[in-house]
Amino acid sequence: MDRGLILDVKDVSFRYAGAARDALAGVSLAVSSGEFVALLGPNGSGKTTLVRVALGLHAPWTGSAAVLGRPAGEWPRQALARIVGVVPQREDNLFPQRVRETVRLGRYPHLGAWTAERAEDRAAVERALERCDVVALADRWLWALSGGEYQRVRIARALAQEPQLLVLDEPTASLDLRHEMELFELVRGLVDGQGLAAVLVTHDVNLAARFADRLVLLADGVVRAAGSPADVLRRDVAEAVFGWPLTISSVDDRPQITPLRRHT
Amino acid sequence: MRRWAPLLAVLSLTCRPSDRAAASGGGPAHRIVSLAPSITELLFALGAGDQVVGRTVYCLYPPAARAVPSVGDGLNPSVEAVAARHPDLVVLYRSPQTETAARQLEVLGIHTMMLRHDRLEDVARTAQLLGRATGHAAAGDSIARTIDSLLASPVPAPGARIAYVVWDAPPIVIGGGSFLDELAARAGAANVFHDLSTPSATVAIETIAARDPDWIAIVRDSVGAPPPAWAARREWRTIRAVREGRFLVLPADLFGQPSPRAPEAVALLRRLLTR
Amino acid sequence: MKWLGLILALLASLLAAIVLGPASVPAGELLHSPIFWELRLPRALLGVLVGGSLGVAGASLQSLVRNPLADPFLLGLSGGAGLGAVSAIALHLGGAWTLPLAAFAGALLALGLVFRLGLVAGSVLDPRVLLLGGVAVGAFCGAVTTAIVTLAEASELRNAFLWLWGGLSGASWQTVTLMAVYVPVPLVVLLAAARPLDLLTLGEEPARHLGADVLATRRRVYLAASLLTAAAVAVTGVIGFVGLIVPHLGRALFGGRHRVLLPASFLAGGILLVLADTLARTAVAPRELPVGIVTALVGVPLFVLLLRRWTAD
Repeated sequence: MDRGLILDVKDVSFRYAGAARDALAGVSLAVSSGEFVALLGPNGSGKTTLVRVALGLHAPWTGSAAVLGRPAGEWPRQALARIVGVVPQREDNLFPQRVRETVRLGRYPHLGAWTAERAEDRAAVERALERCDVVALADRWLWALSGGEYQRVRIARALAQEPQLLVLDEPTASLDLRHEMELFELVRGLVDGQGLAAVLVTHDVNLAARFADRLVLLADGVVRAAGSPADVLRRDVAEAVFGWPLTISSVDDRPQITPLRRHT
Repeated sequence: MRRWAPLLAVLSLTCRPSDRAAASGGGPAHRIVSLAPSITELLFALGAGDQVVGRTVYCLYPPAARAVPSVGDGLNPSVEAVAARHPDLVVLYRSPQTETAARQLEVLGIHTMMLRHDRLEDVARTAQLLGRATGHAAAGDSIARTIDSLLASPVPAPGARIAYVVWDAPPIVIGGGSFLDELAARAGAANVFHDLSTPSATVAIETIAARDPDWIAIVRDSVGAPPPAWAARREWRTIRAVREGRFLVLPADLFGQPSPRAPEAVALLRRLLTR
Repeated sequence: MKWLGLILALLASLLAAIVLGPASVPAGELLHSPIFWELRLPRALLGVLVGGSLGVAGASLQSLVRNPLADPFLLGLSGGAGLGAVSAIALHLGGAWTLPLAAFAGALLALGLVFRLGLVAGSVLDPRVLLLGGVAVGAFCGAVTTAIVTLAEASELRNAFLWLWGGLSGASWQTVTLMAVYVPVPLVVLLAAARPLDLLTLGEEPARHLGADVLATRRRVYLAASLLTAAAVAVTGVIGFVGLIVPHLGRALFGGRHRVLLPASFLAGGILLVLADTLARTAVAPRELPVGIVTALVGVPLFVLLLRRWTAD
């Protein structure tokens, strides 16, 4: 069908137990290798839920979710972790850890309970540290890192898994401009250089439009628009989704939205 | 009553030398509540048994005492239960816990007597005090004389060496601060743990083995009781006296607390040692 | 290098434990003395087994309930054991093994109760609920125990509390053999869960995404660590502080990876308990201190030292 379809979510609906309305209704998402897809939408639009259903954490009420052609729920957890590297929104380290130690954890999907780490594991860790440009930080404590450095380390850990797909949930939420740009450049570089696929959930519409190959715009659990940034960020579509008057400009041949003031 | 021994022994740590007796308002007490087995025994020995209207649940000697209504625990007394017996005198064993109860009884207008009753000399003194308080002064003095003469008689040269073992997990032995130590000395036996100034102490089995007593003394309800369960265990058999089965089984009614029958206790111990 | 040091330290403490004691036995006669064979040697070995068990249980439970201050006895097991022991005495059940068996049974009961409480939404074992449930069950058992002691008439009950305060005085070849046979099974289960435990320290969601079976890991770790603790309590009563501080010592020396931390905690726990027990037996000879006091007296300065190193880093 296409070059390496990794995620194939077809028409899924899902509601959390005890919720008043569906978190997702009739949502589809397909991600192939070498693609950088950004999931956009307001809070509560279902972005994180979509990722969870796509990776088999929740069973969809209708529709199907498959990873590499196999239903997501049927993947053994460890095998799936060798395909998909996830950088979740929140993480709470219990004890102080050094950078290299935490990146090493990314090799665990490849290790059994009793197998010792092999040379290839150590090599994979070093490669991941290099690609994320955190080699110089390898012996530092995690709590001593800046926000941007910390996020790069977490991406390095996901890379150590040697996945085919990278999923990042709001990785730039608390980062300043420079680190935000660095992170998007990093992800773009990994997709271009390693042929990885990437799904990035974000609020930052403009950066997503600059870096991603495809945008998927969610609102109230429904896909309001999906396609290339040029297709999705048209004024009529965007204004309807974001509920605010906008003007569209262009940077690097990519559309950028700018909200207008209601009163001048 | 043998169960009281370790308890009393441990608690003796907390006593102060002076006794406190609230001034009684006149004649002898007729409704006495006793809050310690040793006191109950003493009251009956004084002939004041029918003046006792309340006892603790542990006061089982003499048998006649069991007919007296129980007011519960003696160390943590229920002031209400005691007051319900309408006593004109309450006798307590001196300890920090009973201090509170004594104060509360005083507030209710009930006269209390706090007695230290750990060593043989205490028996003599409390016998006199209680004798006067109950109108049996002569009996009290007589008991005091018996005890005093026992205490005045020369201590025989120590022959056999004994150790009192009151508990096994952890091992607890009786030290020099206890009346049991005194009884042993009067019977011509040396308590190997006499050097410990407290009434009781936790020690290691190997300490008992190293001090190598000739006899292990245990306090039980009846003289015919079998050797304790721990005597069969390998660790305990490192002690020579345990291996050889040399146990002195001492009846709790004589050895469970300091009592006016101390001379009898000494005589029994002497007999058992020469067996 | 560090491992060598640890093993040497263990051997040194074992040596001290069998050579030192309130009974002075000259070194030459040691091998011929029943004090050595029947008392000191089994006691030293039991110290290693119990101290090691408490150390490993503490390390696993601290990661499981996500609390660096967790102690194996925080999960209600000591309360359950006390209740079991006191019930057995109050019911006048005789027999040499009654106390340990009853304590073990009580600990298992508490384990089951806390486990049941920890099952949130049907099957998810929530660490915070485990912690709170453990405290609640422990308190409840403690209250019932006190009630029994107050109402029942056996004064042996008060002596039972002395036993529960903890100590290796009852060590024998029987208890050593029992522990030596029992302990490896939960130990192996915990070692097998070492990697998933590493992942769990990141949090539930990241662990899941890295391939950990969170539910199965939690169940296994909770049960294995609790079974280790229950056996320790049944055999030696409640010896506090070992399970709390040994994991931190292990982390300071070897880092947080459980494949390394768990064995290190076993060795360090053994060393700490054997040293503490030797001190308890000899410091105020001929009397004996409760070992729980000594573990605290020895453990606290060590802990403070660690803390200062940590904060200076």
